[in-house]
Amino acid sequence: MSQPPPLTPTSVVRLRREGGVAHFPGLARPRCIRCARVSEAQRDELWRLLSCAEAEAGLEEGPGADRRRFCLSVEDASGTTLWGLTVAEETVPPALIEWWRRADDEAKNEGDP
Amino acid sequence: MTDHSASEARSFLPPYLLERLASSGSAHQRECARQTLLADGRFRARAGSTALPQGSARRGEPARFVHSAEQRQVLPGRLVRREGQGESGDPAVDEAYQGLGATYRLFWEVYERHSIDDDGMALLATVHYGRDYENAFWDGRQMVFGDGDGELFNRFTIAPDIIAHELTHGVIQHEAALAYAGQSGALNESLCDVFGSLVRQRELGQSVDQADWLIGKGLFTERVAGRALRSMARPGTAYDDPLLGRDPQPDHMEAFVVTEADHGGVHINSGIPNHAFHLVAMALGGHAWERAGRIWYDTLVDRRLNQDSDFVTFAALTHDNAERRYGAASREATAVREGWRRVGVSP
Repeated sequence: MSQPPPLTPTSVVRLRREGGVAHFPGLARPRCIRCARVSEAQRDELWRLLSCAEAEAGLEEGPGADRRRFCLSVEDASGTTLWGLTVAEETVPPALIEWWRRADDEAKNEGDP
Repeated sequence: MTDHSASEARSFLPPYLLERLASSGSAHQRECARQTLLADGRFRARAGSTALPQGSARRGEPARFVHSAEQRQVLPGRLVRREGQGESGDPAVDEAYQGLGATYRLFWEVYERHSIDDDGMALLATVHYGRDYENAFWDGRQMVFGDGDGELFNRFTIAPDIIAHELTHGVIQHEAALAYAGQSGALNESLCDVFGSLVRQRELGQSVDQADWLIGKGLFTERVAGRALRSMARPGTAYDDPLLGRDPQPDHMEAFVVTEADHGGVHINSGIPNHAFHLVAMALGGHAWERAGRIWYDTLVDRRLNQDSDFVTFAALTHDNAERRYGAASREATAVREGWRRVGVSP
């Protein structure tokens, strides 16, 4: 596990929530944050939240079923994935979930069902 | 959103996101978002953090404990109703209590199983988990139910088959412990739907042709274009909604979905064994929990069912269990063989 790369104005952060008692394709689409559209302070805050999620991800995922989890990734301007992480919902910082809640749902015709 | 909460949100949200929220979010969504902003991570639940209370030493009698998280994400929360106590007046608490009881009764009265571990394990549930939390899950020791957001989802205790679904995850954990990924995960999910549906059918006294074979009926609000989370009779037809998308479940191996999402499609490809069970039950008629359910339960507790068992292995075991219990030339064995053939699992 490694820390996320520094976020630059060309970085793209993708956040996807999946799992739960059913799979809803519309709710499981990745959501996108284009760092060019946020301030430097906001990028720093987002990086800090991703780092917090990474730190918690070291904990072993607990047993159970129908739990939700978040898939987080950072891409560069060319779309290359520089960093990725899957983490249990309950370990994601609430403020990062809020970023996810408000981020653009731009992947309506791509990805998994 | 009030001016106060807007200013709070603006302190860290990018302007374009605020604009999007302001233009597209309903008043309730905005309030939900505000509450999320105020949420305190200190209260968030951790797996396996719950100490189980004393179970039931008397076979045939459950030991239920229903707690309220009081809109926080803490487990197990405050104990509201325990075994033998009267109604609390809180619908979510009382629905959970009733649902756990109905599930216990199915497993005990039909399959002679004494709770989750067949040794009287306490049935622990928490309701009112989180604020506007739209999910239910099994955390390895207890069941957890959110209230829903009121926009797309009602409270998750409203559907007794969902309560039974979550409890059955516990039963599986104490038996084959089917790995929660790929085909074994889809079998895990399917078994929970099967026994969830059987609990609901039995409580309603329904025969196979009276049952609707829906999972999670009542969970959606009126704003959702859908009937339920899943359909065992017609996988892939439960909902088709602008926000939720379209029910992705296949009903045949030809449409098996290969994906990394959803732990390898555990809630997607479960449509195939779900439909196989439906076909077997319909072929046998009567009450589904009596013969089809018996065969599936025999297989659930069969030592030959492993953590990594796939659809073909499970199908073979159900067929073998049908032959053992009812005879090689029995209607039951024929129905099982035909059910798996029709969904493309068996040749």
